[in-house]
Amino acid sequence: MSTKELQLMAHLMRRASFGASRDELETLVEQGYDETVERLLDTEDPRSMDIDLIRRYHPDHMGMMGNNIGSHWMYRMISTDAPLREKVALFWHGIFATGYAKLANGKVLHDQIRMFARVGMGKFDNILLELSKDPAMIVWLDNCENHNGAINENYGRELLELFSMGVGHYSEDDIKEASRAFTGWTIGNTDYMTLKSMRDSIWPYGRLSFHFEYKPEDHDDGEKEFLGRKGNFNGDDIIDIICEQEATARFLARHMYSFFVADEPPVPEWPYKPPRDPEAIDILVKAYFDSGYSIREMLRVLFKSDFFKTEDVWFQRVKSPAELMVGVLKLTGEFPRPKEEMITTHLHTIFMGQHLMNPPSVEGWHWGTEWIDSGALVERVNFATERLGNLESPGVQSIVDKLISEDNGHTAPEDLVDGAIEQLSISNITDVTRESLIEFVERDDEVSGNGSRDARERAANALKLVAAAPEFQRA
Amino acid sequence: MTLAETQRSTDRLTYNRTIGVTAMFGRGFYYPVDIVADESGRLYVLNRSSDGDKRGVRITAMNLEEEYFGIFGEFGAGDGQFTWPNSIAMDGEGRVFITDDYLDRVTVMSSDGDFIEKWGDRGSEAGQIDGPNGIDFDAAGELLLADHRNNRIQRFGGDGDFIETFGEAGTAEGQFVMPWGVSVCSDGNVLVGDWGNDRIQKLTSDGEFIKSIGTPGRGEGELHRPSSACEDDDGYVYVADWGNHRIQVFDPDGEFVQSNRGQATVSKWAQDFLDTNKEEAAARAEANLDLNPDLFERDPNEESSHIEKYFWGPSSIKLIDGHVYVVDTVRHRIQVFDVVA
Repeated sequence: MSTKELQLMAHLMRRASFGASRDELETLVEQGYDETVERLLDTEDPRSMDIDLIRRYHPDHMGMMGNNIGSHWMYRMISTDAPLREKVALFWHGIFATGYAKLANGKVLHDQIRMFARVGMGKFDNILLELSKDPAMIVWLDNCENHNGAINENYGRELLELFSMGVGHYSEDDIKEASRAFTGWTIGNTDYMTLKSMRDSIWPYGRLSFHFEYKPEDHDDGEKEFLGRKGNFNGDDIIDIICEQEATARFLARHMYSFFVADEPPVPEWPYKPPRDPEAIDILVKAYFDSGYSIREMLRVLFKSDFFKTEDVWFQRVKSPAELMVGVLKLTGEFPRPKEEMITTHLHTIFMGQHLMNPPSVEGWHWGTEWIDSGALVERVNFATERLGNLESPGVQSIVDKLISEDNGHTAPEDLVDGAIEQLSISNITDVTRESLIEFVERDDEVSGNGSRDARERAANALKLVAAAPEFQRA
Repeated sequence: MTLAETQRSTDRLTYNRTIGVTAMFGRGFYYPVDIVADESGRLYVLNRSSDGDKRGVRITAMNLEEEYFGIFGEFGAGDGQFTWPNSIAMDGEGRVFITDDYLDRVTVMSSDGDFIEKWGDRGSEAGQIDGPNGIDFDAAGELLLADHRNNRIQRFGGDGDFIETFGEAGTAEGQFVMPWGVSVCSDGNVLVGDWGNDRIQKLTSDGEFIKSIGTPGRGEGELHRPSSACEDDDGYVYVADWGNHRIQVFDPDGEFVQSNRGQATVSKWAQDFLDTNKEEAAARAEANLDLNPDLFERDPNEESSHIEKYFWGPSSIKLIDGHVYVVDTVRHRIQVFDVVA
C-alpha cells in the first residue's frame, strides 16, 4: 500500500471518525476506501462498551443527575464500532445546541444525544420532527411556554435561524406563524418538570425524565401563512415546508462542509462571507434534493467527492476538544473498561472550552481557530502529551513497541521522530517542526546521558514531543 | 393497573414503606448501594455517591422508623475513606466491613465510625483481589467476598487472612462472570449474584454448586444482570434483578413466585422536604407520576427514569428482621417489604 493511500485513509478517519491507529489504517486501506466509507455509513446494530458495565461501575450514569454526562458519551465515542454515528451526533449537538445550565437534567440531554445518533443520518425532515418533539429542546427553547393565543417565539425563531435556513430567508411573520403551528407541542407534567429544572431540584427521589406530550387543546389550529404558503398548519407541516427550501439545503450543506471538510467562519458571518468552496456546496445541495433530504446520502457524496479527498483540505480543521480527546484516548486505550478516572478525564474538555451538553448558548460553540486561545492551547497540548507519554497505557505501549528497535538498541533521533509522526498520522508536519522535534530528542539524549536511558521511556518521550506539535491539533 | 400494584394471593412479599431521601450529604442517601443492620435494628446504609460529587460518599446510620443517628466515612483513599464503596457487612463484634471496588481493599470500622484497619492486596493470585464487591459473614465469622474482576469468591478471616478461593471465569456450574452480591443463608449455603451470567448461584459453604436460579431475559423468572439475592428460613429466594430494575421471588425449588417493579411512596424524610418546599409539593401534587410504562418502549431503564415509584438499579436486597430491604440506588431510597409467611 502506498503512503498516499494511508494518508487519505487517515484523513477520512479523522473526519468520519476520531482518528485511527496506524495498524487500523493499514487494515482499512486493505479493505479499500469506498468500502470503508460504506461501512462508516452503515450504522445498524452498533456496538460499544457494554452499557450495563458502565452503569454498574458508574451508577450515576443511569440517572445522570449532574452535568458530567459528557463522560458517558465519551465512553461511547472511544469504544464504538460505528464512529460516524457518534460523530454525526456531535455534529448535530453543535447545531441544535442544548444545555444543562437551563435543564438541570442530564438524562434528557443524554436522550437527545442518543436521538441524534439514532436518526442523525436519516432524512432531515425526520430529524427536525424528532428535534421538535425532543423534551430537552422543548424546555431549552421554551416551547412548553408556547400556547394557543399566547405564543412564545423562541423555538420558532431558532428553528428557522439556527436549525434550518439561516438569517435572511424568512420574515418575522414567518417566525410567528411557525410558532403558532408548534403550540401544544410540550412535555408531560410541564409545571412540575420545569419547576424542578428551575430549582435544580433532586428531591425527593432524584430527577425524573421528561416525555413529549401533544396537547391538541393547546394547539392553534387556525389558518397560517408561512413562507408564502397558506393552510391550517401544524408543526410537521412547517417542517415539510422548511425542508423544501433551497436555503435549508445550502445552510445544511455549509454546516456539513465546515464540520467534515474544512473550517468555515462562524455561522453569524455566513451572510457576508461566501463559502470556501461554492462548488462543493452545490454538489451537497443536489445530493440533498436528489435523495429526499437524506443526510446519509449527502455524507456518501461528501466522503467520495474530490473536494473531500483533495490534499488541499487535509488538516484544514482544528480539532474540537471532544475530537482531540477522543482521538487521544482511542490511541492510548486507557479505558478498556469503565474507570473512576473518566470523570476527571472528561473534565479536560471543559478546560479546553467544550463542555459537552452544556454549550455557552443556543448558538453552540464557534468552531475552527476559535477553539484556540492561550489557555485552551496549553490544556490541549498538556492533555495530548501527558496521555501519549504515559507508558502504562496499553496503546502507548503498543506504539512504543513499534518505535524501538527489536534489540532495544539506540534508534537515531530522526528515525524516532519520523516513526512517531507516522504512528500519529500527522503527514502535514512541516520541516521546521520536524527538525525542532529531532533537536529536542537529541538534547534530551544529551541531558539524560547518551545510551543510558531506557529505550521504551525514550521512545515514549519522543511520542510525547511529537504529540505536542501544532500539527497534531488539526484534523 | 401496573404489575407493581397487583397483589396476588400467591405473593410472598407485600410492600411496607419507603425510607430515605436524596441528600448529597448529611441525613439521606446519595446512590446508596448496600445496607446492613446491627442487633439493635440500627441500619447502616452505604452511599456510593456520584463521580461528579464526592460529598455523598458516606455511611448513613438510621432505623426503620427513619430516626437519624448520623454519618461516618468519606470520599478519599486514606484511612476510613472510600473511593468506590460497594458493599457493607457487620461481624459478630459489631464491626463494619466495607469493600472498595476502586482501591481494591476492605476497610474495617467501628459502628461509631472509627477506623480500625484496612486490608487487601491488588492482583489475581489466591488471596489477592481485583474489584471486591459483595461481602457477607458466615456463622464461623469468616468473610465471603465477591472478587469480581477475578470472577471468583474468596474467603478471608475477619482480619484479612486468606483462607480459600472458589469459582473461576465461565458459564458452567460454579463458575462466574463478574459476581456482585454475596449472601450467606441461615443454613450456611451461599447465594451469589452471578451478574454476567444472568443468574443466581446457590453454593454450599465450601463452594460446591447446588443450583442455579433464573435464566437470561426480561420475562417472569428471567434475570438480567442480577446484583444480589437473599433467602428466608423457608427457602424462598429474593433477587435484586438489577438490569430489569425489579425484584423477583423464587420458591425453594427455584420456581418463579413473584415479580415487583417497585411501589415507592413518600418516606418520612421525603415528606419533610415537601413540607418545607410548598411550591414544589403543590406542583408535584398536580403531576401524574404514575405514567403508563407502555410509553417507554418496554425499556426498563427508561420506565424507571420516568416512573418514580419504580426501582431504578436495585443494587442490594437484604432480609432483616422479617423485612426485605431493597436498596433502590438511583432513586436514593430503600423500599421495604414484608414477608408473608
